[in-house]
Amino acid sequence: MTALGLLLIGIFLPLFPFSMAFNALLERVTQPLLRSLLLVAWPQVGLWVLSTQTPEIPSWLTVWALATSLLYAFRLAAMREIGRWTGFLATSAWALLWLPTYAGIPPSQLWTFAAGFSLPLVFLSLLAQMLERHFGAAYTGLYGGLARRMPRFAGVLVISVLAATATPIFPTFFAMLHALIVSQPVPAVVLTGIWLIWSWAAARLLQGLIVGPAEPSPELDLPVAATWGYAAGLAGLVIAGLILTGSRL
Amino acid sequence: MNVTDQFVLLLPSLPLASALLTHLSSGPMGRSVSRISVACSTVSFLIAAILLGLVLSDQEVATVTVGDSWGSLIFDPLSVLMGLLIAGISLLVRIYSVRYMAEEDGYGRFFVLLDLMTAALLIMVAAADLVTLLVSWHLIGVLLYFLLGQDTRSKSAYRYGFWTFITYRFGDLPLVLAAAVLFHTFHTWSLPEIFAALAANPDTTTYFDLPVSEVVGALIAMSAFARSAQFLLHTWLPYTMDGPTPVSALMHAGIVNAGGFLINRFAPVFAYTDNVLHWVFIVGVFTAVIGSVLMLSQHDIKKSLGYSTMGQMGFMIMECGVGAFSLAIFHLIAHGLFKGTLFLGAGGIIGEARHNDGVPKDELYTFIVERRPARNRQPWLLMAAITLAIPVAVLLLSHLLVAPNLFQKQGAIILLFFGWVTGAQLLFATYNMRSENPWRLVTLIVFSFTVVVIGYTLISHAFDVFLYPDPDFGTKLYRAAGIEFSWFVILVVFASAVIVLGWLRAYYTERSHRGKWRSPGHWWRNFYALVWREFHILDIYTGLTRGLLSASARVNVWLRWG
Repeated sequence: MTALGLLLIGIFLPLFPFSMAFNALLERVTQPLLRSLLLVAWPQVGLWVLSTQTPEIPSWLTVWALATSLLYAFRLAAMREIGRWTGFLATSAWALLWLPTYAGIPPSQLWTFAAGFSLPLVFLSLLAQMLERHFGAAYTGLYGGLARRMPRFAGVLVISVLAATATPIFPTFFAMLHALIVSQPVPAVVLTGIWLIWSWAAARLLQGLIVGPAEPSPELDLPVAATWGYAAGLAGLVIAGLILTGSRL
Repeated sequence: MNVTDQFVLLLPSLPLASALLTHLSSGPMGRSVSRISVACSTVSFLIAAILLGLVLSDQEVATVTVGDSWGSLIFDPLSVLMGLLIAGISLLVRIYSVRYMAEEDGYGRFFVLLDLMTAALLIMVAAADLVTLLVSWHLIGVLLYFLLGQDTRSKSAYRYGFWTFITYRFGDLPLVLAAAVLFHTFHTWSLPEIFAALAANPDTTTYFDLPVSEVVGALIAMSAFARSAQFLLHTWLPYTMDGPTPVSALMHAGIVNAGGFLINRFAPVFAYTDNVLHWVFIVGVFTAVIGSVLMLSQHDIKKSLGYSTMGQMGFMIMECGVGAFSLAIFHLIAHGLFKGTLFLGAGGIIGEARHNDGVPKDELYTFIVERRPARNRQPWLLMAAITLAIPVAVLLLSHLLVAPNLFQKQGAIILLFFGWVTGAQLLFATYNMRSENPWRLVTLIVFSFTVVVIGYTLISHAFDVFLYPDPDFGTKLYRAAGIEFSWFVILVVFASAVIVLGWLRAYYTERSHRGKWRSPGHWWRNFYALVWREFHILDIYTGLTRGLLSASARVNVWLRWG
């Protein structure tokens, strides 16, 4: 594995501090489509570059990857801005792709796991931009009460956050399970710790957004057609996950 | 696929279909959408009853698979019994909720969540592979979080719901690790295959050359501790009363019992452990004692109920720790029905009591409510002797009638001790009670106690025969829970001495200090304050959480949010 190759992979399958490049870029990209593209394509580029390199990965790289994932999971807990929250979760999740790679699974077989992590984050990113349009900022704890104010939006938001944080039966759950069974005991315990922190951060995010007294505002809510679109997307994610990731266990 | 298989699949599928239908119809049907849920739930209950009938008619254990490597359900006595309990309690909770939740927002959503929760619970108890078990186990925590937060305006409901959620997530992780260890060792997710492989080679080792049964047993026990609110993982239980009453009933009657179920499901692993069940026993006893002490010290009746459940869960886990696995299942069913009735009936009773409390002003009232003990009592030594002798005689006789080899099982003897202490407590109460005919009262109490103990013994024996028909397997479980015989004898003698001397002292003190009130000492007051503050465990957890969040925010600032 060449130094340049390693650097490139470290940027696209983020390893701290190279991971800061992705988060800085995500913060600057405000156009929804570009942002979505960035979230989907970034880890796929990393996997592609990885597939062009010698497959042997030193063990210290997995320690680095786990530390990166843990660091971003920990930082996620106090993050209140949803855009950055999405970026941190993406960084924490994608870094875990090093574990199956180290276990000898070819990068070409990991694209479904990477996409499984990316797609719910795309939904989340789009929802965050809608909040920014309505309220000027997508901050948890700032306004709250979305479950009463915008029930359809809140429903989609809740399911997207659950999908992103490895809740069954979304592909992220199977990706985490897969990473666990190919890991040695100590990395596996760290991995479960990361999973726990994701859940903690997810609950904090949701509580700050959906809970609280508020009057219903149907004009702000997600249109019915868009709600069906998101629902179809999430259902598709579940089905694809069961077929592509769940069946590989 | 035969009819039994179809029923096994239909049981969890019905609530799933009901959830989907309820969600789609909640707009046009309005409040009457609950009929879908109640109807499906009634059919589920009937199917569960039919399945139990099939098991009782000696239908063989079977596995139904819908996926390749996972997605399988098992038809065995444990899954069917638990399925009937879940379907029954879910049906009652739904019927209760139809009117109880009528004024609340999110009526349709509530029934959707109830349906999903029922499906997850039914899948959990019937899961025949580790992945299906993990999926349902994890989803129960998530669904409970949203059920407890049904009132989306209430920040406190979500705050306490979060405690439940994070404790459950914490408890999920050992189960995930156990699944990973089992898969790594046996290369299959199927539970029957894993159990068969372990039975064929009980000394199988895993990472670091550790025995797989010990590692997996310890991890499973940890998962069960979190789900069943064992000490240090209990704080969520007494504080989750802000959720709707039907959810509290479902939680206290069903969900919190999952720890006992999990240990029973993995009984074929625990049968080959050496030390794990001893720790399970210690944690269970400690939780039972602490839960009971906390229950008695709380002024808030809801918190008190929560701690009562914690104490019961401790007792259930302790039963597993002594090897009485089937007794734990009987206990969780009995406790579930009792606590469910208490929660669902509380509102009606309180409403009725506002007009007429309906409590007869008899001897029991004088003793318990007015706290006026008897003026004239029987000789304390005679009463102490009766207190100590009668319960032990009743317990021994009833157990010997059912299980002659009782004394070969250390766990059964330990459970006798608990029965003994409970019976003695009952008789001690009569010593203080005003009564025109005290001997009649004692006789009635002894008779009631005998009926309860014999009934309990017979039912627990029936559960043992039903759940673990192979007597060798039951013996293995008791052996795994047992300790060296000499140590056991020492412990039994020591415990007996403590109980006998304790009761003698209690009688003597009661006799000598009758009518004299003594101010509690400094140490006692401090201890009471400590218990009342729930050992400051919540303060420690809150401080820890704040510290972690503060550190996380600081790291974000240092790294300039990148």
